[in-house]
Amino acid sequence: MLTDREVISTFEMLRNEHLDVRTVTLGISLFDCASDDLQRFKLKVYDKINRLAGSLVGTCDEVAVKYGIPIVNKRVSVSPVAVAACPFSASEMVEIAETLDHAAREIGIDFIGGFGALVEKGMTTGDRALIEAIPEALASTDRVCATVNVASTHAGINMDAVALMGRTIKRAAELTASSDGIACAKLCVFANIPQDVPFMAGAYLGVGEPDAVINVGVSGPGVVKKAIDRARDGNPGLDLGQLSEIIKRTSYKVTRVGEIIGRQVAAKLGVTFGVVDLSLAPTPNVGDSVGEIFQSLGLKSIGVPGSTAVLAMLNDAVKKGGAFASSYVGGLSGAFIPVSEDLNIAEAARQGHLSLEKLEALTSVCSVGLDMVALPGEASAATLAAIIADEMAIGVINKKTTATRLIPVPGKKAGEKAFFGGLLGEATIIGVPENGGSEGFIAIGGRIPAPIQSLVN
Amino acid sequence: MKKYIITVLGHDRPGIVAAVSKALYDSRCNIEDVSQTILQTEFAGIFITTMPPGMNEEELRKALEQRLLPEGLSVFLKEMEGGGVQAPVETEPFVITTMGPDRLGLVAGITALLSAYRINITNLQAAFRGGDDPRRNVMIYEVDIPGKTDQAAFRAALVKRAGELGLDVSLQHRDIFEQIHRV
Repeated sequence: MLTDREVISTFEMLRNEHLDVRTVTLGISLFDCASDDLQRFKLKVYDKINRLAGSLVGTCDEVAVKYGIPIVNKRVSVSPVAVAACPFSASEMVEIAETLDHAAREIGIDFIGGFGALVEKGMTTGDRALIEAIPEALASTDRVCATVNVASTHAGINMDAVALMGRTIKRAAELTASSDGIACAKLCVFANIPQDVPFMAGAYLGVGEPDAVINVGVSGPGVVKKAIDRARDGNPGLDLGQLSEIIKRTSYKVTRVGEIIGRQVAAKLGVTFGVVDLSLAPTPNVGDSVGEIFQSLGLKSIGVPGSTAVLAMLNDAVKKGGAFASSYVGGLSGAFIPVSEDLNIAEAARQGHLSLEKLEALTSVCSVGLDMVALPGEASAATLAAIIADEMAIGVINKKTTATRLIPVPGKKAGEKAFFGGLLGEATIIGVPENGGSEGFIAIGGRIPAPIQSLVN
Repeated sequence: MKKYIITVLGHDRPGIVAAVSKALYDSRCNIEDVSQTILQTEFAGIFITTMPPGMNEEELRKALEQRLLPEGLSVFLKEMEGGGVQAPVETEPFVITTMGPDRLGLVAGITALLSAYRINITNLQAAFRGGDDPRRNVMIYEVDIPGKTDQAAFRAALVKRAGELGLDVSLQHRDIFEQIHRV
């Protein structure tokens, strides 16, 4: 018999606090599609995605109805296209992106990830072609997301790739200038990218992964915020240790829900269950914000002094609860602070509480990085590359994943608004200090060596 | 050996289960199952027992009434049918929760729909205390839904019915509760 307290708390998590499964992502390997004939490759890719993911949306909806838990997003991630399609040229890579876009539309999903390359130590011809293709591929498709891993703790930072990504982001923004550079919202640059990320835009299926696998992303910033509010209303004397315990327990519950849903979907589709990615991922909806949690813990806004400490505690408590809830935790697993995708964080940026420097500091204690940060259109390619290099350094030295999703909004200045629409939201453009002051450094190129793994201070 | 269901009702106080079980013990009846609950101030207990050879139903009834009626407890005795095992139907366990202002016909309204879908209630807790706080007017049904039920249709019918009754409703698989609340 269930107790009424258990039943009512679950009822409220669902009804008022946005408890849901944020994404069920089907990873599909494209390695068996390899061919040096473009038409053949495209046909095999299209057929395989249709065959394996054709019933993904229907199956997720069926499981969501049965369990009474919404599955907000259904998505597909594929093997890094630069590897699977290594022989092809940049223009052929664009055609492959269009095939992925077409397949995604056919099976009814909003995003497909994996148009990517892993270049932390160097580039193959396929990697070069893919990166060259990114601006046009993202401008000519709606659903394709691109990722490029340019750094790792084991390899260091490939600064040539970093410089190239600065230019690539600039070009992608120019090609979609009329929609505030939206192509850049579908492009992540990573350090230490995990192989099993279910969240877009960073999702791809790594080379050590099975042929098909279900990875689940759980979220629940609203549930965490309400749990903190309820606890503090009931007992204003709770200290941070006790509040951290509450976050941990809440994260445990959210993760358990994600795992049971993911396993059901995997079983119905007849594919392996991979991991639960226990991240606090906000959306531009009221009550679904990571930023609001900072206010529940006594800060005026995310970005004011104290924010890094709060985020460190929040991120750690989420991981502890989630790790206990599931034996297979992976992906990014932490709190996201995507500026435009979180109403509260976007507002903090508008009011000037959140600078680029503070955002960078925050990313040293959370996943993932400078995410959905709108920058002035005048930011130079070298400045963008330098911002990426700083972010990669945080990841490489701290043995963690970091990423950037930077949008230099064409024709707009700091303080103006950029509009991306839907889940991508809108944001006030944040000023870039010393634009142009990093040209000399970026021009040097080469690879920053992998860091020492002892003498850790 | 024949099985009997014994139901005992009365104003709650310490010693009711002790009195009933002592009376059964003295009649050499073996208790197989027992469950009790308290609603507001009233006790209700159900005992399933086997009777020793040689004793008949009337003797047991008399023995129990003699001991329990003076204590203000009502006793009802009935022979169990069909050996106590129901034919298995393939079902899945769900929990239906409603919250909303009290009014006449809430339980009747929800249960009529469950009955129409051949859904069995395995546990029901409902409390209506009035007032605006939805937590004070709650029904929690643990139910077994036959495997062949059209889930989407039932969910839609339940939401519609709850809407007509002015209730907020949720229907969830029991696994969700088990996963969230039990380690």
